[in-house]
Amino acid sequence: MPEFSAAVYQNEYLPDGGTDVHAIVTATCRGAGAAGSSGSGDAGEIIVVDTSGSMEAAGVQAARYAAAAALDQILDGVWFAIIAGNHQARLCYPDGSSAAMVRMDASTRATAKQSLARLYADGGTAMGTWLRAAAQLFDTVPSLAQRHVILLTDGENQHETPQQLTAAIESVRGRFQADCRGLGAAWQVDEVRRISDALLGTVDLIPRREDMAGEFESLMRTSMSRGIAEASLRVWAPQGAEVLFVRQVAPTLDDMTHRRVEVNPLTGSYPTGSWGDETRDFHVAVRLPAKAVGAEQLAARVQLAVRGEVVAQGLVKAKWSTDDSLTARISPEVAHYTGQTELATAIREGLAAKAVGDVTTATNRLGRAVQLATQTGDDAATGRLRRVVDIDDAGTGSVRLRRDVERLDEMALDTASTKTTRVRT
Amino acid sequence: MTDPSSPAHADPAEAPDAPPASPASPASPATDDADAPDGMLVLGGPSGADDAPAGAPATAVPCAECGEGEYDADGYCGQCGARAADPRDHEEYAPSSWVAGVCDRGIRHESNEDALAVAADETGRSATIVVCDGVSTAARSALASASAAQAALEVLRSSTSRGVAVVPSAVAGALGARLDAAADAAAAAVAAVTREMDEHPDGEDDLYPSNPSCTFVAAVVDGDVALVGSVGDSRAYWLPDAGEPRRLTTDDSWAEEQVRLGAPREQAEAGPQAHTITRWLGVDAPDHTPAKVPLPLTSPGWLLVCSDGLWNYASEPATLADVVAQVAARPDGSDPLVLARGLVDWANAQGGRDNITVGLARIDVDAPERQVVPPRPDGGELPVDPSATTERIVPGTAPPGGRADAQPEREAPGESTHGRGDGPDGGDSTHA
Repeated sequence: MPEFSAAVYQNEYLPDGGTDVHAIVTATCRGAGAAGSSGSGDAGEIIVVDTSGSMEAAGVQAARYAAAAALDQILDGVWFAIIAGNHQARLCYPDGSSAAMVRMDASTRATAKQSLARLYADGGTAMGTWLRAAAQLFDTVPSLAQRHVILLTDGENQHETPQQLTAAIESVRGRFQADCRGLGAAWQVDEVRRISDALLGTVDLIPRREDMAGEFESLMRTSMSRGIAEASLRVWAPQGAEVLFVRQVAPTLDDMTHRRVEVNPLTGSYPTGSWGDETRDFHVAVRLPAKAVGAEQLAARVQLAVRGEVVAQGLVKAKWSTDDSLTARISPEVAHYTGQTELATAIREGLAAKAVGDVTTATNRLGRAVQLATQTGDDAATGRLRRVVDIDDAGTGSVRLRRDVERLDEMALDTASTKTTRVRT
Repeated sequence: MTDPSSPAHADPAEAPDAPPASPASPASPATDDADAPDGMLVLGGPSGADDAPAGAPATAVPCAECGEGEYDADGYCGQCGARAADPRDHEEYAPSSWVAGVCDRGIRHESNEDALAVAADETGRSATIVVCDGVSTAARSALASASAAQAALEVLRSSTSRGVAVVPSAVAGALGARLDAAADAAAAAVAAVTREMDEHPDGEDDLYPSNPSCTFVAAVVDGDVALVGSVGDSRAYWLPDAGEPRRLTTDDSWAEEQVRLGAPREQAEAGPQAHTITRWLGVDAPDHTPAKVPLPLTSPGWLLVCSDGLWNYASEPATLADVVAQVAARPDGSDPLVLARGLVDWANAQGGRDNITVGLARIDVDAPERQVVPPRPDGGELPVDPSATTERIVPGTAPPGGRADAQPEREAPGESTHGRGDGPDGGDSTHA
């Protein structure tokens, strides 16, 4: 049986007239089991590999190895399919004459690997079409409770307008999760991030072809360890209150605010996708009407719900006080993740400014990023920043843009900007 | 560091909202693409799926603050978030017209670990006031103090023996034995709480370094004599209408020892260890025999029993007498319950840094009922009207000038927690 727990970290004391309550809610799942084994329904996996012309023969060969490595991780009994994507979405496996998925077993695994030989590089890129195709395939298996896609691309979405991609993303939102990977330096991080953000997945860079197989294997292993098909975060706030934001802040940053689905007028539900044995931290901010000094109230009730049932909850409180020693303290957890969120924003703004040649803004923002990474002890981020800027003084954020920056290093900094470190205690 | 709230599990009353996402419409057929030279099927065409949320019902108990919502299992209003009042946050007792008490959470503490138990008859000759202050560094101290106070009251009100003589000293001797028995019963009640904790521990118990513990002070009025006894730093004062106000009890505290060693009282009681007590009720207490002080009731005045939540702000008898006189001068201020409320409000206005308990007995020697009654031939058992004891007045009706309106001043540093001294060594100190 899976077990869930939640803990709240906050300073519940507000000064006289104070309105904003911030809390970090940590949710933990143990005993999630394997994907498709929870009894709630089957699991489905679709591997989408880019087979556009730019992949070339060598890229397609690497994609075959990667897909095969992923197939080896898919558990028996899990429904699966392989899509070859270019300006179209073609069903590589199963190789029948209708849209379908099949259950994994020794036989289908072997024939699926054989089918990979049919992949070849040709044509353009239309990721929206790939997404719609995946949704169509999942719909052929009504028993699925958990649907996951691994999407690989190596280039820009040249055969669709941004609006077409948006429409496709919106049409599949909520129907499956997608972890997206970009191969090499010719794809657009922002474009692919739009997909992974909407589909509750991750985006990352695979710098070299030979890294693909390891990444696919790891992605699929993680997906197979997610026995909780779907969980959502529910946030109740009292009447008259405003939920300022709801963010996942660890292990990765993900602003969930706009994904609110109303449960009742005071409660919103925010989908968090599938869960394995893991801990996720959420930053919830609520604005309350100020009460008299001495008053105490519940500012938010934060719950994790699985299949509509609440499995863990944390209470966020507010107490008004005139005691500065109580109200002035900032929760170290809230401070840490506030810093990590600003770090991600600074990196993205800095890179965006750099891309359009705004050296001043780029230098300021990336300098601020260096300062925040140092303050929050995020050595990995500092290391990635160091490949893009020369650091004169990390403490003050004094940096200079490097002239000889590798595009891959910039992309690595961008894709990793949402990875956070946990609080050091 | 912040305090992690304890993990809570599902409220079974919660209703499911969104049904598990289910594939809605059947798949549209794949379209063959004649252009695909590899024979791979070309997929296309959208298909829809949606999930709709549903509402969730609430549980019972209406909210006292907004009137709209109902309290959840955690004690917060599901509509406005207001905290449901803990009955112990503010308790009032008025067992008779001349005896009353108020026990209040104060402002700074999250729960009320003080406890008050009061009994009195209407004749004006028999009353019992017990105050216990739970040690805040000890587990389950709110339960310990309540159990102790109630157990002591049961002993004191069920036994009215005055001994064999009307001689005040003999009466005091008999009362003294009753006080010892009451302290024994109170200590046994604390021990029972400890046993229960050991047998059925809950997650919070580990957060506390020591076993359930509390202070003890009791005042018994019997005819023309009162006897007070205490363990710890809860106090009794005699505040005569005319004449010198007196503190009757001597604290079993680090501060008191400093005073004995020559430190100025004000300084000792403001020090960081001021509230470290050297005696208490609890399984690891070195000794819980109350130190007893008799008081002949020969002039009118107030017998006041309190926890440190009050005397922190008026330790000196003269200071406290001034405060009492000021509050008593208000309309209806001579009513014991009104006075007790007024004193609690006053302490909250000073900062309300600790739980506040005030028990009062109005001594009117001129009242005919207060004349000494000769001992009864059967040995002195006097009738006790059980209906006249420990009447609870419904809280919820906030006292005038209550906590929400009070603007507490900034307090001097030093959270007023009860410590336990330094383990075994802290417990061997003497009492007067």
